[in-house]
Amino acid sequence: MDKAGKLAIRAVEVTLFGSALILVVVGSLTGDSFYLRLATEALIFGGLALSVDLLLGIVGLLSLGQALYFGFGAYLSALILKEVYPSFWLAMCLVGICSAALGYAASFIALRSKGVYFALITFGLAQVVAKGVYNTRALGASDGLIGVPVIKLWTPIGNLDTANPAVLFTVVFLVISCLYYFVKYFLTTPMGSIWQGIRSNEHRLSFIGIESTGPKRFAFVIAAIVAGLSGALYPVLRGFVSPELLYFAVSGNAVITVVLGGVGTLVGALFGSVLLTILKSVIGTITAHHHIVIGLIFVFVVIAAPGGLVGWLRKKLNERLEMNRD
Amino acid sequence: MIETLQFVYAPQIINGLSIGVAVILMALGLTIIFGLLDVINMSHGEFYAAGAFLGLTLIAIGIPFWVCIVLVPAVLFPLGVITEKFLIQKVFNSKDRHILTLLLTFGIAIVLEDLFKIIWGANPSKLDSPIQGAVDLLGVMFPKYRLFLMIFGAVIIFGVWLLIYKTPVGAIIRASAHDRNMAASLGIPVTWVHALTFGFGVSLAGLAGILLAPIYSVFPTMGKDFILMAFSVVIVGGLGSIKGAVVAGLLLTQLQSISSLFISPVWSDPLVFGVMIIVLMFKPSGLYGGLKNG
Amino acid sequence: MKRRALLLTALISTLFVTGASAQTEPVKVGVVTPLSGVYAGIGQQVRWGLELATREINAAGGINGRRVELIFEDEEANPAVATQKAEKLFQVNRVDFLTGTVSSGSTLAVGQVAERNNRLMATTVSFADSITGDRCSPNVFRVNARAGMQSAALAAWMVKERPNADVFFLGPDYEMGRSTVAAFKAAATARGAKAVGEVFAPLDNKDYSPYFGQIRAAKPSVIYTSVAGNDTVRFFNQMAEYGVNKNVVLVGASGTVTSQNLAAIGKAAEGFVTGAGYSPKLDNPQNRKFVADFQAAYKTLPDLYGADSYGLMYFLKTAAEKAKSVETDKLRVAMRDHEWMTPQGTKRMRAGDHQAMQEMYAVRIEKGDFNIIGRVTPADAIGPDACTRF
Repeated sequence: MDKAGKLAIRAVEVTLFGSALILVVVGSLTGDSFYLRLATEALIFGGLALSVDLLLGIVGLLSLGQALYFGFGAYLSALILKEVYPSFWLAMCLVGICSAALGYAASFIALRSKGVYFALITFGLAQVVAKGVYNTRALGASDGLIGVPVIKLWTPIGNLDTANPAVLFTVVFLVISCLYYFVKYFLTTPMGSIWQGIRSNEHRLSFIGIESTGPKRFAFVIAAIVAGLSGALYPVLRGFVSPELLYFAVSGNAVITVVLGGVGTLVGALFGSVLLTILKSVIGTITAHHHIVIGLIFVFVVIAAPGGLVGWLRKKLNERLEMNRD
Repeated sequence: MIETLQFVYAPQIINGLSIGVAVILMALGLTIIFGLLDVINMSHGEFYAAGAFLGLTLIAIGIPFWVCIVLVPAVLFPLGVITEKFLIQKVFNSKDRHILTLLLTFGIAIVLEDLFKIIWGANPSKLDSPIQGAVDLLGVMFPKYRLFLMIFGAVIIFGVWLLIYKTPVGAIIRASAHDRNMAASLGIPVTWVHALTFGFGVSLAGLAGILLAPIYSVFPTMGKDFILMAFSVVIVGGLGSIKGAVVAGLLLTQLQSISSLFISPVWSDPLVFGVMIIVLMFKPSGLYGGLKNG
Repeated sequence: MKRRALLLTALISTLFVTGASAQTEPVKVGVVTPLSGVYAGIGQQVRWGLELATREINAAGGINGRRVELIFEDEEANPAVATQKAEKLFQVNRVDFLTGTVSSGSTLAVGQVAERNNRLMATTVSFADSITGDRCSPNVFRVNARAGMQSAALAAWMVKERPNADVFFLGPDYEMGRSTVAAFKAAATARGAKAVGEVFAPLDNKDYSPYFGQIRAAKPSVIYTSVAGNDTVRFFNQMAEYGVNKNVVLVGASGTVTSQNLAAIGKAAEGFVTGAGYSPKLDNPQNRKFVADFQAAYKTLPDLYGADSYGLMYFLKTAAEKAKSVETDKLRVAMRDHEWMTPQGTKRMRAGDHQAMQEMYAVRIEKGDFNIIGRVTPADAIGPDACTRF
């Protein structure tokens, strides 16, 4: 990653952090609820996009079914909070472990292939599970599960009330940030280099004695955990889950988010999610045909700016750096 | 025993055949595009829908169905060529070609689907069947139009096979698929071959669209109807193989049709999908891999 | 002296102005309805019904002297989007009341949002029994007929016209499809009909011909179906293709054939009977006027979604006038056991479960018209109060 690239990523990280801070302060002072919760939702789906970017941008595997883990995390979290015990930490731990297990199991089916086949298999897996959930009465079937109670989050300094939008936003922001740095950390390890090697030229790796299936499986499991934990936050925010969380539209949106933000930049996924949420909200109020507008923007970005927003920023910074050098 | 064969299995098999022809027509275009361009056309279903909508409009202004069967592919062909030349080729030469073309066609699908809704509305429309009535086939009533479909579909499939394997045009296409650079150095305008082939592939999808419209009706999300099945057929049959698309198409639709007698029909889609996964796991190139292989 | 008088006048006039503007601040009704996607057709009828009623109400002076304002948001037939938009309407637009949700999942989820924001909402479309049954909410009201009422109307007609019929059931394989079939099966067999077969096809099924062998073998005199939308189009057309619908009476749920898919089904819908809470052919003065106004404004006939949405605005208006306020708790009290006039005659909102009681009809499609061929009284149709939450 060149200097301009690193700078671009740092710039976006700072922007996100700064905006979050401003939002919390202003939001608490004005007693706002809607925008804080909208931003919280953007972050939650940003976590899903993060898992897509890990697989796509770092390892080079396009997953069209990450919503499977997201929805799994959401349902499991809802069930735990509603039926077992309304403890945030309990839900998160269990979801983390179970998502890892699910990802591990699924990897044996999905990783038998790569490229297009991988995309189709992940797509199909998500469809099959979505259909199963849709038909299961115990999970609320097509209506989903409502009635997830408002959670009181235990911390050493007292209980936090998640009904307070600013509190919830801060909690979610911290969780997603942790997931972000968690994934980013791996990039600095040997595993991260192998991943990037797989992305550039998997075939060649075998010639230098590195086996690629293990690292791919590892990435797959990490992505499942990230997606699952993000999904687990959803019922905490909205108080319900429904089968739509597993549908292709959710997986597809995550891919769009990643492309808009910048494939492979990780922070692009989070920023892209915020961007897409704002876009949808604004366009949706103007016209009912928001799908076509977003579709056109997406096509434009894929053709003209495949590096997404962060990529564009990087190019601009590069030009600036070149200028300064002369 | 004979009765079971006649009244339970035979109708299922015949039904499976008529659905099979439809799926194969979809899969043909997809596999040719796959095989030659190495492009996964996620918008293939939307071109199928485009054919149906176009047919709807043409018939509404009074053009007879039989003329439409020729007109619709003829109109979709240049549309496909334009799509390939001005959109897909833009990302074709980049390092991440596979992912980018997949994402691009995915985006095109989104735009097209909403376009249909804007132009024609969200409600379903009916396309009247040009051949009404049913015949008595082995004691079971079978609609004449479906019979026509099976025969006409078989003719088209045979025609495509002839085109690709027995004509000079087909040879050019296969050469470009086999070795792009060599073909170019022999003077073949490879980028044009790509664009024309893409146009050909999607016009096949459009033809399937108008042919199937009287049976399955027309509505904006219809592109999703067959797409998973078509992809499964292409993968099981082997990317780029026409024979593979036909064999796999027949096999998978029969599997779906007959299995619905034994298991709840909701699980027949996952079953087909499961077969695809197993094939992918153990023989990733499919039954007959490659455009070169027939 | 003059200056003080001027000041005083200015002061008093500002008081008047602010006082007056507080009076003329509109009653805001939020509408979260699918404006895009598969249910867009239903959302359109909902929108038309609400807008027509709102125009009339505003022309007559509004609610408690205040103008009514509708604010629309697209829920895309997705509960996740619906809750987000509902929150926006409650918190940013500060609506006093909410409506418009179509699918049961959206209604239930948005109902929860309404509770958390201490506002009331009503549905005019969702027919799952649970909404005013085991998942009832003190903040959710239902103005339209629910599934149980629809089955009751149809079963009553069938007992009279086709006693002891052999019925074959075909439904879409998901919770709602199965429960609708189960409910009607119970109602019909309790009255002498015989179930000769049952099959569930996947949602969005393309081809129903694999089931025709089974249907033919069972030799039914009646086929009941709870498919909807595009599935109905395909099922009915394919049945006609194969001649399966010859000498068979087709009956089904009220969502099976509606104005959205009738054109695409065409002739194959002829003779279809259903139990519904409305038909544009209803012959009473309120409906005649309503249909005429609706057609003049929108160039198309209203269906049950349009009619019930129209009726909702009058429910809100008359209840708010009874309560002299749109404040949540006062409004809720006023709405319970409230009676008001609708195109379907007088409806009463049952206090125990917030379900509207109304006359139900057996409706048959004849030459594209929804003709009424049977009636059931509100008391007979409604069924027991299964709501225990309040």
